[in-house]
Amino acid sequence: MAHYLVFLEQRGGCISKVSVDTWNRVQQQAAQEGESVSGFVGGPLKPTALGELYGNGTIYHAQDEALSLPSETLLCRILSALVAEEGCTGIVIGATAAGRRLAPYLAETLHASLLGGCAGGSLHSELCRRYIYSGLVLAAYRPEASIRIFLQGREQSRRSFFSTDRPHCVSFDASPFFVPHENLLIRSVTSGNSRKSIAESAIIVAGGRGMGGKDQFVLLEELASLLGGSVGASRSAVDEGWRPHSDQIGQTGKAVAPDLYIACGISGAVQHLAGLSSARTVVAVNSDPHAPVFDAADYGIVGDVREVIPAFIGAVKEVLQKK
Amino acid sequence: MNIAVCICQVPDLPSAVAVVDGSLDLSRVAWVMNPYDEYALEEALRLKERFPGSAVIALAAAPEAGKELLLKALAMGADRAVEVCSSTLQDSFQTAWVLAEAIGNIYGQELPDLVLCGRESLDLQNASVPAMLAGMLGMPFAGSVTALRADGESLEMEREGDDGLETLEALYPLVISAEKGLNIPRKTGIRQVMEARKKPLEIVQASALPDPLVRFAGAEPVSLKKACRFVETPSELAGLLYRGGFFKTAQE
Repeated sequence: MAHYLVFLEQRGGCISKVSVDTWNRVQQQAAQEGESVSGFVGGPLKPTALGELYGNGTIYHAQDEALSLPSETLLCRILSALVAEEGCTGIVIGATAAGRRLAPYLAETLHASLLGGCAGGSLHSELCRRYIYSGLVLAAYRPEASIRIFLQGREQSRRSFFSTDRPHCVSFDASPFFVPHENLLIRSVTSGNSRKSIAESAIIVAGGRGMGGKDQFVLLEELASLLGGSVGASRSAVDEGWRPHSDQIGQTGKAVAPDLYIACGISGAVQHLAGLSSARTVVAVNSDPHAPVFDAADYGIVGDVREVIPAFIGAVKEVLQKK
Repeated sequence: MNIAVCICQVPDLPSAVAVVDGSLDLSRVAWVMNPYDEYALEEALRLKERFPGSAVIALAAAPEAGKELLLKALAMGADRAVEVCSSTLQDSFQTAWVLAEAIGNIYGQELPDLVLCGRESLDLQNASVPAMLAGMLGMPFAGSVTALRADGESLEMEREGDDGLETLEALYPLVISAEKGLNIPRKTGIRQVMEARKKPLEIVQASALPDPLVRFAGAEPVSLKKACRFVETPSELAGLLYRGGFFKTAQE
């Protein structure tokens, strides 16, 4: 019978949103099949950190400060030992930047099949179906190894899982896994002025070349903050230097999975649309009625973003006031 | 400094990839060097220019023998290019294995000081080979690096983490994967292409591969098209989205 280990990513003493979703989803799926789940989290935690985790099983917590900013090598040593000790057949990792680096390293160490970004996200499917070639091909992959590693994004987890059960947390001694001279250390993290990561946003307002300049993004900032979302950008806007690369959505940027994506002045190159395949509803604003972005949109407005967006901000405010 | 750079090629336009009876048809594809690999190679060449006596070897694992990719790497400035072919390459694990073996064959017991890779290949986007290769070579792995400062003993790097900019410190040897923003790769002209033809270029067959950990089991084409409903005014759109329940996170 399958036994899963969920890697819980810790940020500033809290469990990352992606990890919370991942844990609860695994609990739900495992409960249906009568399977068991354990978790691991490293670094000091706030007292309320595990409050959103439901279900059964044990969460191993290593308190060491060094695990707040762990290297893949260190995490890999700890997790592979836990996998061996617990006899895990599945490891589930949230598809954050850190998770995506850890998963293949761990797969190599454990000789495990890595299944990343599977559409549907079931732990019990025989095949992993995932998009390749900029989302234009859906390919199926069959895991061949006895241990599987699942790398899962947020898009597969909108339904929240509630249970009266709570996992119990036990302290984990990570000291045997530290080595005196680590060859790679993560020294510091300079917070990106606490802006919400676009990969985790439910609403994204993104701008492209049609915005006309860096200053015009103020409009999108205003709209995003009004809606409780974040601002993204197309490759051309990033290449123009209007936005940092961390805001870029698409093939050479981030794949996003918001409920609502508002594309402003983005023509819609296939490389950009590739990053949107998991967005639920897409709105496009563009002055060119033949822009390819409209082919991938649910709603469209033809017009200059510099006129449409301020008017839209006004209309949203009006609607919210009536509420 | 001995630097190995792992490169691969990807379709110039993903729309040229076709699916025929559940199999991929790549016959109409024009190939280019994976853009992330260009960042890796460019960074290697800059290190070579800074540290006299350095050598850069470009390595490729490919299902089919082809010289174009290697010639491009040599034209950019690699000293030597090696391609290992295997028609049965299935997954990232086998690809990393072929590269690790090639590095072993070329460098012997003395591993290279740095192995540079692109963050991911744009075709399959697994982003797995660099980390797997690091594991196989027994080297630490610094992934998605956007800035690199090296001296003779150590390296300082930056990358965009989930929470902001991360600073890393590492000793040699190390596997690094290059993210967009690391540098702007150089262009190559006629002269560089002519010089590339005089440089050592080898194409060899892979020895027996280990079993893949993941096996390709078919494909189907996808249409990204949706039926777009055009609305006339911003207030009509605001009303539609409000009724769709999208403004729940909005400011009160």
